Amino acid sequence: MSQLRPHSQKTPLLEIRSLTTQFLTEDGVVRAVEDVSFEIFQGEILSLVGESGCGKSVTGLSLLRLIPIPPGQIVRGEILLEGRDLLRLTEKEMERVRGNEISMIFQEPMTSLNPVFTIGSQIMETLQLHQHLDKKEARRKAIEMLHRVRIPSPENRIDSYPHQLSGGMRQRAMIAMALSCQPKLLIADEPTTALDVTIQAQVLRLLKEIQQEMGMAVLLITHDLGVVSEIADRVAVMYAGRIVETGPLEALFGNMRHPYTRGLLESIPQLEEKKERLNAIPGHVPNPLALPSGCKFHPRCYLAIEECSQEEPPLFQVNGNHFSRCIRWRECC
Amino acid sequence: MSENHVLIEVLGLKKYFYRQRLFSADKEPIRAVDGISFSIRKGETLGLVGESGCGKTTAGKAILRLIEPTSGRILFRGRNILDLSREELRQLRPHMQFIFQDPYESLNPRMRVGEIVGEGLGVHHLAKGAEQAERVSEVLRKVGLHPGDAGRYPHEFSGGQRQRIGIARAISLHPELIIADEPVSALDVSIQAQILNLLMDLRDQLGLTYLFISHDLRIVKHISDRIGVMYLGKMVEMAKGEDLFRKPLHPYTQMLLQAIPKLGPAQKAHPPSAKEEVHFFEPKQGCLFLPRCPHSKERCHAEEPLFQNEGGDHWVACHFVF
Repeated sequence: MSQLRPHSQKTPLLEIRSLTTQFLTEDGVVRAVEDVSFEIFQGEILSLVGESGCGKSVTGLSLLRLIPIPPGQIVRGEILLEGRDLLRLTEKEMERVRGNEISMIFQEPMTSLNPVFTIGSQIMETLQLHQHLDKKEARRKAIEMLHRVRIPSPENRIDSYPHQLSGGMRQRAMIAMALSCQPKLLIADEPTTALDVTIQAQVLRLLKEIQQEMGMAVLLITHDLGVVSEIADRVAVMYAGRIVETGPLEALFGNMRHPYTRGLLESIPQLEEKKERLNAIPGHVPNPLALPSGCKFHPRCYLAIEECSQEEPPLFQVNGNHFSRCIRWRECC
Repeated sequence: MSENHVLIEVLGLKKYFYRQRLFSADKEPIRAVDGISFSIRKGETLGLVGESGCGKTTAGKAILRLIEPTSGRILFRGRNILDLSREELRQLRPHMQFIFQDPYESLNPRMRVGEIVGEGLGVHHLAKGAEQAERVSEVLRKVGLHPGDAGRYPHEFSGGQRQRIGIARAISLHPELIIADEPVSALDVSIQAQILNLLMDLRDQLGLTYLFISHDLRIVKHISDRIGVMYLGKMVEMAKGEDLFRKPLHPYTQMLLQAIPKLGPAQKAHPPSAKEEVHFFEPKQGCLFLPRCPHSKERCHAEEPLFQNEGGDHWVACHFVF
């Protein structure tokens, strides 16, 4: 897990620099992602966590250039996959990256799988398209992939239609499809949110096992800090389109340095102790068309001082690869 | 714990659904709720947990007769609700209210907040005109909204504020019992905490009794005094919250508790592999949990376990209490 670091010795698999994605709406320009930078190393799980509207999914879609243009637009930034800037590729070149080098799974497997084709034919399509396998080879490989995601009797299941599978099995089939071309990076956008808690635990464990077997990198997008702490190596917390804190899992949970991260954690009821009230974060997420000045979190922050409303804070280095976008990070938490 | 403090008692509640086809109907029904019994004391919060399809929502709606139960008895302050006529039921409604999961779909978009919250007062002839407006302002203030919000429409509010409107509607009639069906599941985590705090404050201020339905064990543990665990339409375990978490007796409860993601990088104990969920496959006899149970024995195939008190008001339906 953490043996792969220190980072300085390795070049990242994927490096995002100052990514800024905006949407033109009738009411004005929404900056969904503002100056977001992070990197993912081979063999690690980085989790992008935040509440709805924080820009985590738009970041994921931007990486694959799946933002609908218009109304969307990647205004600035670089997305370097092994040094190659994906934003400079032609659409044709980008098609070869998707599925082959970076692939993606989504929250609701029923809407991402085609209901009129068997899961086998959908996995085979990927293999035939990207890896130019013939039909027989593709079928053999598809069975192997279903086996890998622990679907029982894959020889029979390969001819099942999506509706014949349970929610957990469908998500496994999605994972099999996404991994069939052995991508270097898997983007998983809320992969277990639609699943029951016992099934969620199984799918998370599967993801972690496969990720280790294949040595692949995973960008896990989720709102659920429980999911994060189960499988992530590093975490980036987003708020109002910005990364507000990032660091190794242990640091984020054990030594958080941003009041928003603390607020998120304290909003979750603890199993161990019974508290009468939760320390809820007051107020609500700002309207993206009317973001507050300075630090975007200051109107809800218990540490806010006048300075916070004047200038947007940069990311301060707490130590190593732990950063916080809070001028009072030393006092926080 | 004397009997007269029991506000509502549910006895052998069943709700079966028969699928209608063109020329036939199913002989074998879907047993959404299959004979559950429990009682809630005044001022108490009973949490009902279970995974999707376990019948917890159906149970909640059947208790208020928002859907007609197939059989059973529901004693509210000693009277069987299922024996009431439409008019008698209507008169009882103000005492029992429901909070829905989805704050987007459960508020009429064409009504102003004041109309939504005040509608019940008008229907039940409790307040009219200026008095109604005054009551609405008071209720809005109680749930943390501004009295001036009465003139606005639901779409002008965020999800969390909409859920406050739903709560305001539920408490406007001074109910004794509130059935809350996943009231925070659609909300972001920071907003969830606000709404949970609000529900707990209102419980203390107004002496409310809750049936709190949720799939989230952390949340249920936080708000409930006692917790019932449902599986495929049956109650498999029920106990005080602390007892259930400290010493779960049913293998299904144990599986659920182990599956809760731990917060923080602490030890990741990986529980024995739980079996994948099963479709509406129903063993004709024996224990319903058998196909997923890691401990099943011969007896479990033959005979269905009874829901029994294992001492200290800890009820469980399992032949082999672990």
